[in-house]
Amino acid sequence: MAETIEALERRIDELRVAVREAVLTGDQALASARRTELRQAEQAWEDALSSAAAAPQPQPTLAPTGTQGSLLPLREQVYEALSLLQVSAAPKLIATVHEAFFGSTFPTTRVTSLKRDEERSFRSAPFARPYYVCAALSADYLSPSRGLLAVSTWPMEKRVIGSLSPRVDFLTAAIRVADAIERIPIPPATARQLLARFAGNIPGAAQPSAIPDQVRPDVVRQAAEAELAVHEELDARIRKDAAERAMRQLSDAERLFGTKLGEPIDETGAAAG
Amino acid sequence: MNSDYLAGMRLDRLRGRALPVNHNARTISALAANPGCPRRSLMDAAGVDKQKIAAHVGYPAPFGQSVFAITRGNVFEARVKENGAAQLLTLLRDHLGLDVSEVGYTDLGDAGGNPSRELRHVRTRHGLIGQDHGPRTLFDHPLLRLRVGGRHAYLEPDLIALRLDGSFHVIEIKSFPVIDGQADPAKVAAAAIQSAVYVRALRDLIAEAGSDPGRVSHETILIAPKDFASQPVATSLDVRKQLGVLDRQLVRMTNVEDMLEPFPETLTFDLDPDEDGTPRRPPEELAAAISLVPANYAPECLATCELCFACRDEAAGSTGALGKSVREDLGGIDYNAQALALARGQLPSAERAEIAAQLLRAAQLREQLLGEEIQ
Repeated sequence: MAETIEALERRIDELRVAVREAVLTGDQALASARRTELRQAEQAWEDALSSAAAAPQPQPTLAPTGTQGSLLPLREQVYEALSLLQVSAAPKLIATVHEAFFGSTFPTTRVTSLKRDEERSFRSAPFARPYYVCAALSADYLSPSRGLLAVSTWPMEKRVIGSLSPRVDFLTAAIRVADAIERIPIPPATARQLLARFAGNIPGAAQPSAIPDQVRPDVVRQAAEAELAVHEELDARIRKDAAERAMRQLSDAERLFGTKLGEPIDETGAAAG
Repeated sequence: MNSDYLAGMRLDRLRGRALPVNHNARTISALAANPGCPRRSLMDAAGVDKQKIAAHVGYPAPFGQSVFAITRGNVFEARVKENGAAQLLTLLRDHLGLDVSEVGYTDLGDAGGNPSRELRHVRTRHGLIGQDHGPRTLFDHPLLRLRVGGRHAYLEPDLIALRLDGSFHVIEIKSFPVIDGQADPAKVAAAAIQSAVYVRALRDLIAEAGSDPGRVSHETILIAPKDFASQPVATSLDVRKQLGVLDRQLVRMTNVEDMLEPFPETLTFDLDPDEDGTPRRPPEELAAAISLVPANYAPECLATCELCFACRDEAAGSTGALGKSVREDLGGIDYNAQALALARGQLPSAERAEIAAQLLRAAQLREQLLGEEIQ
């Protein structure tokens, strides 16, 4: 019969003490037996917790295991990658970043359908989850930017896209990737290749010899920051204006997933035509 | 506008239930090149899917890209346009001397829901001409419009660039390789004609908005892969000559209302597809409908029109099927059999006396050279 969650927690504590004592007295057989029981109790605790959490959750989709598979659901892998980039990004970049820094990748088609699933989940139980993988909105029409994903917990300014934003976000992403590489003692080849692809399209970022291994994160960062200085003020102003309109005129769901009206929204919040 | 509306309805009926296939610059330039073919003119004006029609009557088109080629082209285009068109900006900074501040990227294909072509065109106009926007440089998926045969054809160039000085450049992305600075001349020529059509459409848009159409440069940009690696390169195309040819052809094109006039209102090329999209219309019935509208087959059709095999079969035995120059030389003789009969010495009618004499002489020369008579 199912023990209550608290009873399981007490049992887990007792078993941990038993394992400790068996190990310290050198009794390998007893330690091994108690460890097995401890594992079973912990699993039972997990199961009891899952069924106790009544919120409707869709089955987590496991990523296909590559050479090193991830056990996280796809939505969390996408969240990981976007959290590293800190800017909205297309599925292809998200998958590449995840492969480079988190050891596994996923087909971009699954990422595209994720946005749809997240919207459905939000609409059926708004704000039930701590975050949602959501859309980035075009500044002009506050419609979902085709092909871009963002995180719902980001401020609205980060989730709207003005005409300069794609370039600004590209340069920002390059800096974040450079930062991430510097944090790793031996960056994997995929990470270096990713940085090299950024560097190839930022003036002054690529070394003269342009061999992928020789792209230097600090050089890329400097070059990206230099160009960012040209665009960021104007971009920020455009985004601030669009964010204010979004907060004023859009519903909760529309702020995350954009408007579907297909008509331009004027200052009063009414759809034209 | 009433006749415009009525013509539109008749064209819809002609097409049947299928969604209209957009004109693209290739079909317009092909149409303009052979304006004397009522069958193709009418089908293109109605947006009929000629590929499907040809297949259903038993003459599937010989060309059209393989799925592999189409995919490769799409992948190349996607890479050039990703990340705010980062690769394209790198190329244009070098090729056009873009200022570092010229990085704006606006996707005009982006819209909530599924916008109509009219709405997308309005947004394109607003995006390109409107004054109230922030900094704009690159426009992705613009939807232009061109008046062809009295109707609007919607066209989608790959990109349009707007410079700080107010000038526009049409940008086309192709996936045929540019090897050592050289590319397949036929493909480059086709790209140039296509770009000229977009320049014409964009100039019309600018002029309608009250601005100077000369702002649209006659220098268009071609983006293609260098060698067989997929690194893109930019090339300039001067399309003034193509613009001149196109403008002359467009002026000469027949109005759609006049084209429709000879045919019954009930004429349709509908395929009557079932739920899976399989055509149910009896092929003989469809073939009969097609043959009601005369064609003007020439060998050039083999490179430009999906119905070519069907029309070639129909035209077999006609001198026109052998090409424009042959037909001109034989002036007034429509069928090969007639020409051969005259060459064998059949007595001609009065108006054919001269050509008959020439054919007879040609047959004699041939016999001398080859030592055999005409069969």
